[in-house]
Amino acid sequence: MANRIIVALKGEAKGFYRNKSTMFWTIAFPLLLILLFGAIFSASGGKYDLYVQDLSDSQASHQFLEAVNLTGSVNLRYIDKQSDLDQYIKDNSLSAVLVVPANFQMAFVPGAGNNTTQLTMRMDPTQSSSNVVFSIVSAVANQANLALAQGSNVITMGRADITSSGFKYIDFFIPGVIALTTMTTTIFWMVSVMTRYRNNGIFKKLTTTPITRMEWLTSQILWQLFVVFLSLAVIMVVGVLAFDTHMNLTPVAIVTVVLSSALFSSMGMIIARFIKEEEAASAAANAITFPMMFLAGIFFPLSMFPSWLAAVANVLPLTYVGNALRDSMVYGNVASATNNMLVVAGFTVVLFIAGIMFSKWKTE
Amino acid sequence: MLGMDIKRDANKIKRRIGVLPQDFNAFDLLTVKENIEFFGGMYDKSIDADELIDAVDLREKRDVYFKNLSGGLKQRVGVAISMVNDPEIVFLDEPTTGLDPKARRDVWGVIQSLRTKGKTVILTTHYMEEAEVLSDRVGIIDHGKFIAFGTPKEIIDKHGTGSRCIISNCDDKCLAAIQGQWPSAEKNDGEIIIRLESKNSLPEVIYTLDRSGGNYEQIQVTRPTLEDVFLSLTGKKLVGVETEPVKGKKKKKGRKGVD
Repeated sequence: MANRIIVALKGEAKGFYRNKSTMFWTIAFPLLLILLFGAIFSASGGKYDLYVQDLSDSQASHQFLEAVNLTGSVNLRYIDKQSDLDQYIKDNSLSAVLVVPANFQMAFVPGAGNNTTQLTMRMDPTQSSSNVVFSIVSAVANQANLALAQGSNVITMGRADITSSGFKYIDFFIPGVIALTTMTTTIFWMVSVMTRYRNNGIFKKLTTTPITRMEWLTSQILWQLFVVFLSLAVIMVVGVLAFDTHMNLTPVAIVTVVLSSALFSSMGMIIARFIKEEEAASAAANAITFPMMFLAGIFFPLSMFPSWLAAVANVLPLTYVGNALRDSMVYGNVASATNNMLVVAGFTVVLFIAGIMFSKWKTE
Repeated sequence: MLGMDIKRDANKIKRRIGVLPQDFNAFDLLTVKENIEFFGGMYDKSIDADELIDAVDLREKRDVYFKNLSGGLKQRVGVAISMVNDPEIVFLDEPTTGLDPKARRDVWGVIQSLRTKGKTVILTTHYMEEAEVLSDRVGIIDHGKFIAFGTPKEIIDKHGTGSRCIISNCDDKCLAAIQGQWPSAEKNDGEIIIRLESKNSLPEVIYTLDRSGGNYEQIQVTRPTLEDVFLSLTGKKLVGVETEPVKGKKKKKGRKGVD
């Protein structure tokens, strides 16, 4: 028996390795998602462009701008003193420009009379990035004022004063991609294997050999688990190397991945029971997985959803898979992770029983 | 089957038989050898894949993916796989359907070599000449019932309509003379077909033609084939069913089996 399972497993492994499209969807596609979304969102958590027109062009203004630069949160881009600022902003669609006035240096000279100078921030307040830049600049200005009041002309800025600590978007996103990949890998594998082997007669041939249905299914499940954990490993390694995410493969996460593989395999089996054609069945699988991917809070946190959409998310199994993985792998919230995992287990039991019942109807 | 109950001992029986299902397919992305080994792995003991590959003459295609084989080669792989457990009985379900004549002869060769190895081969086919060439015994099934059974010769002798004499390019004089003597003679595209009751009838035909003083091109005598017997036994309605788009159960009913 074990021998037959291993033979069937090896057969699937060779086919998988030789089929470039399954390799792409299970390994390369999740990585592309991570790199793409990681790049998009880490840009907003990282540096902003700050355009500066330095009309003073003095030692004081250079020192001040150097302090802004040292925060590590902005890229300074200089605009020539002679430029017509209004025209420049229009031509380059800028959303934040800092203007250092010509009298900037004077404010730093003790006893020069009028010791105030006005930094002007031309900005589009509807752009959240320009608000962030504004707060960075004012923080530096405050430091400068503070330093002046104490009679010292050293302006320093620490990075920690501005950048917020805590979790990054990518920490939220990577467990979601693991959940998503587990779902798509197992559903599509089951749907395509069941419909293809049924339509091209491989099942018919297998029934004439001693392998039983259970042995065959076992081989498929073991193979699926291998593929799922393979892509999980690749995703984690890339997440750590490329984005410096901190995540742990906890027991709860492992159980959740195993359960959700069974859950979505069962879903694939049910689809394949009712839709006989391979193309139609995979279209049906798409129709189920695609909305789930967006509604289950994989790309954006559910807290960003309007309440009615969050209510929809609450009945989708993928939501709980994603939550369980995030809570256990990233946030270290074991209690919440366990609760989510139990909900996943509930879904799995229901769908597994449904899958077996439907397949019994079929054989009768 | 093999002294066992088909339902109760299904698993024991499966170990001792080999089956080539209709519309057979193996795994597209495995090679010929890997496919044979895959199915061999389903049994406790199996024949060496290379030996089977030689038996069906596929040595050159050994490491080619199954999906890249032609229809005839795929069927030969199927025959090899059906022998992988060294079965006592081999069932081949329409192994040559859809193959070109050359590929069909190749598959025939493989089936004949099974017979010389002492295997019992049970073959279902739509092709009567295939049954006639390959079979020791033939059964014709119509609507799920055996309507004839025996060696091809026995069936032809028993159900056949005797030899036919075909006279081509007969002129009117010949035609009149023949139709006078054999009113049942059929006229078909300038040919006249007479069913001969016995061997002695042939000289009579020639004598009649001579005496009529008319002209004809040639006389040909043909033995009835299994196909003629099949058509006369089942009627044309069955042929109609065959050419209909096939839908599962309907087809099984209309299928005739040959063993």
